[in-house]
Amino acid sequence: MTTPDRERYSANRAFVLLATVFALLFGGVVALLAFDQHRVLEASQRLQQETVPEIIRFQRLARNLDQLRQEGERLFSAGTPEGRQQSLFIVMLVASHPSILEHPQSAETARDTENFLVETSRRAGADPALLKARHAEWLNYSKRLSLLVDDLSVQGASLATDDLANMVAVMRLARIKLLGALVLVGCFLLLMMLLLRQHLIRPLQRIDQALSSLGVDRPAPEFPDVRLTEIHAVEEATKRLHAEMVSNEEARRELELLASRDGLTGLMNRRHFMLLAQAELQRAHRYGRPIAVALGDLDFFKRLNDTYGHGAGDVVLRTFAGLLAESVRQSDLVCRYGGEEFAFLFPESSVEQARILVERFRQRFADHDIRLPDGLLVRVTLSIGLADASRCPIEVALQHADYALYEAKRLGRNRVIVADETT
Amino acid sequence: MAALRTLFLIGGLCAGLAVQAAELAVAVGVLDPAQVAGQDKAFPRGAPGAELVAVNDDLAREICRRINARCALNYIAFAEILPGVEARRFDLGFGNFLRSPERERRVAFSDTIWRSSSRLVGSPAAARAFAGKLGRPVTLDSLRDARVTAIAGSQQLTFLERLPGERRLTAIGTPTPIDALQALRDDGADFALLPTLSAYSLLSHDSSGDFEFVGPAAADRGLGGTVHIILPRQHEQLRRAVNQAIAAIRSDGTYQRIVRRYFPVGLD
Repeated sequence: MTTPDRERYSANRAFVLLATVFALLFGGVVALLAFDQHRVLEASQRLQQETVPEIIRFQRLARNLDQLRQEGERLFSAGTPEGRQQSLFIVMLVASHPSILEHPQSAETARDTENFLVETSRRAGADPALLKARHAEWLNYSKRLSLLVDDLSVQGASLATDDLANMVAVMRLARIKLLGALVLVGCFLLLMMLLLRQHLIRPLQRIDQALSSLGVDRPAPEFPDVRLTEIHAVEEATKRLHAEMVSNEEARRELELLASRDGLTGLMNRRHFMLLAQAELQRAHRYGRPIAVALGDLDFFKRLNDTYGHGAGDVVLRTFAGLLAESVRQSDLVCRYGGEEFAFLFPESSVEQARILVERFRQRFADHDIRLPDGLLVRVTLSIGLADASRCPIEVALQHADYALYEAKRLGRNRVIVADETT
Repeated sequence: MAALRTLFLIGGLCAGLAVQAAELAVAVGVLDPAQVAGQDKAFPRGAPGAELVAVNDDLAREICRRINARCALNYIAFAEILPGVEARRFDLGFGNFLRSPERERRVAFSDTIWRSSSRLVGSPAAARAFAGKLGRPVTLDSLRDARVTAIAGSQQLTFLERLPGERRLTAIGTPTPIDALQALRDDGADFALLPTLSAYSLLSHDSSGDFEFVGPAAADRGLGGTVHIILPRQHEQLRRAVNQAIAAIRSDGTYQRIVRRYFPVGLD
C-alpha cells in the first residue's frame, strides 16, 4: 500500500520548535515571576530603608511630644521654683529637638506649649496659687499633645500597613502567576507527552512489532500515515527490507532448484535424489514399509546421438522426462542418474507394485513417437532394472538394480528385470 | 578547599591582629579643657556641661571597644577638634559636629549619632529689652543691633558671620560655651547662640537663674540637623568600622542607655 503524500516534519525541527516554545513559555513565566520578585524586593527595601526609619522617626517624635506633656505635668506638680525651672529646661530642650522642629504641626504645638509653660512658670514665681488657676488651661494643652501623639503613632503604623499591604498584594499576584505557570507548564508537558506518544513512541512500537514479525511468508508490513519524516523513512525502510527478504527468498529457492535439478530434463539431479532417497529409505526401514528402486537406461541412445546428433538426443531426453512426470506418482522420485540413465524410487511400493508401474511406463514410452528437430519421428525403448530396497542401503539397492538393468540389456533390451536378491 | 580555608583563617587572624593592634587617638570636646586633670586626664563629671561630654566620652569608649581598638582619649576644646582631625593628629573626633559642605571638604563624617538644634541664650532682662526695642519677641530672625557670641569654629558662629550687615549683629567667637555665658555675664555680649544640648547642660546646672532660652530653637540654615563623629578623610576603613559600631550600639540598646544616663530625653 502506498502512503499518500502529505506534509511531514523533521523530528529535529519539530523538537527544536517544541523546545523553543517551551523555553519561551518558561522564560516568560520566569521573567514574570522575577518581575514580581523584584517588586517584592523593592517593597522590602523600601520598607527597610525608608518606611521603618520613617516609622522610627514618628515614634521618636511621638515619644518627645509625650515627654513634653509629662514635663508639663511635672512643672505643675513641682513644689519649688527650682523644680519648675528644671522641668521648664527639659520642656525647652524637648521643644528644641529637630524631630519636633521639622514637623510643622508638632513644632507649633510644642512652641505653644513651651510659651504657655514659660509664662506659667514666670508668673507662678510671683504667685504660686496661679498654678492651680492655669491647670485647667494646661489640660487643654496636654490633651492636644496626647491627641497629636496618638495621631503620630497611627500615622507611623499606617506607613508600615500600606507597604505591607502592597507587598501582600504583589505576593498574591505572584502566587496566582506561579499557579498559572505550573498549570501552563503542566499542560505543555502533557501536550508534549501526547505528541511524543502519538508521533514517536507509538510509531516506534509499530515498527518494532513489524520488525519482530517480519518474514517472507508474511505479507508486507502496513503502517498508518505519520507526520515525522524520520519515522516515515524507517517505516519505508522496513517495507523495503521485507521486499528484499522476499526477493532473496525467491532467489534462494531458484538457486536451490538449480542446485537440485538437472538442467536439461528438469528432473532432480543425482545428488539431490540420493539425499531424498536416503531419507525415504531410513523412514521405510524404521517403520518396516516396502520400498523399491529402479535404474532405467535408454536403449541405443549413443547410436541415436551419432545418427541424428546431440540435439536429437536432448529432445529424446526431454520427451522422456515429460512422459515420466505424467506417469509416476507424486510420491515417487525420479532423477537423471547420468547420461541417458535414470534412477527411480518408489516409496510404499513393493517390488511387484513397482514392476507394474515401470512396465506400464516402459510400454508407454516405447509406443511414443518422438519428433526430432528435423521433423523426423522416432521411437526409443527403455531397459529397466528393478530391486527391493526395503532391507538394504540405497547404494546396495541401486547396485542390485544395476545388475538387473545389465541383465535386461543382455536379454535384448526394452524390458523390465527384477533383481534377484541373492545376486 | 582545605587550603582556601587555611588561607581565610590566616587572613582572619591577620585582620584580627591588625584591628587589635590599632591604637587610635580620640578627641573628645569639653566645655573647659582646664577642668580636665588627674593622671588619667578625666574630666569632672559633675561640672556644668559635663553631661554632653560624658555622653561623648562613653560613646567614644564603647565604639573603641566595638571596633577592637585601643583608644587614647584627649579632652580638648571644641574648636581644636576639627583642625586636629584634619591634620590627622586625632583619628576620631567627638564634639557635637553638624554636617556642612565646608566641613565635609576637610574631614569625613560617620553615620548620625544624634540630632541637634541651636538656640539663643540670654538674660530675661536682655530678652525683654530687645523685645521692647524690636517691637516683637526676640528670635533669630528678628534680632538686630545686638552682640551675639558663639563658639569659635561652630556652625552658629558661621551663621552669625554670614547674616546681612543691615541687621548690625556683632558675632563674637569664644572658645567654649562656658566662655560664651561668661561673656553674657561680663556684658561682653547680649545673647549667645549655642547648640541646644550644650546650652541645656550649662543652664540646668546654673542655679542663679541669670539666663534662659530666648526665642524658638532653629534647626535650619545649618544651625541644626544630624550630629556626627568626624574622622580623617583618608580613613575610609575606620569610618566603615565606626558606622558598624554605631549601628550595633543602636540596635542592642547601648546607645539609648548611654544617652539616658545623662539626659532626661532621647537625643535622636
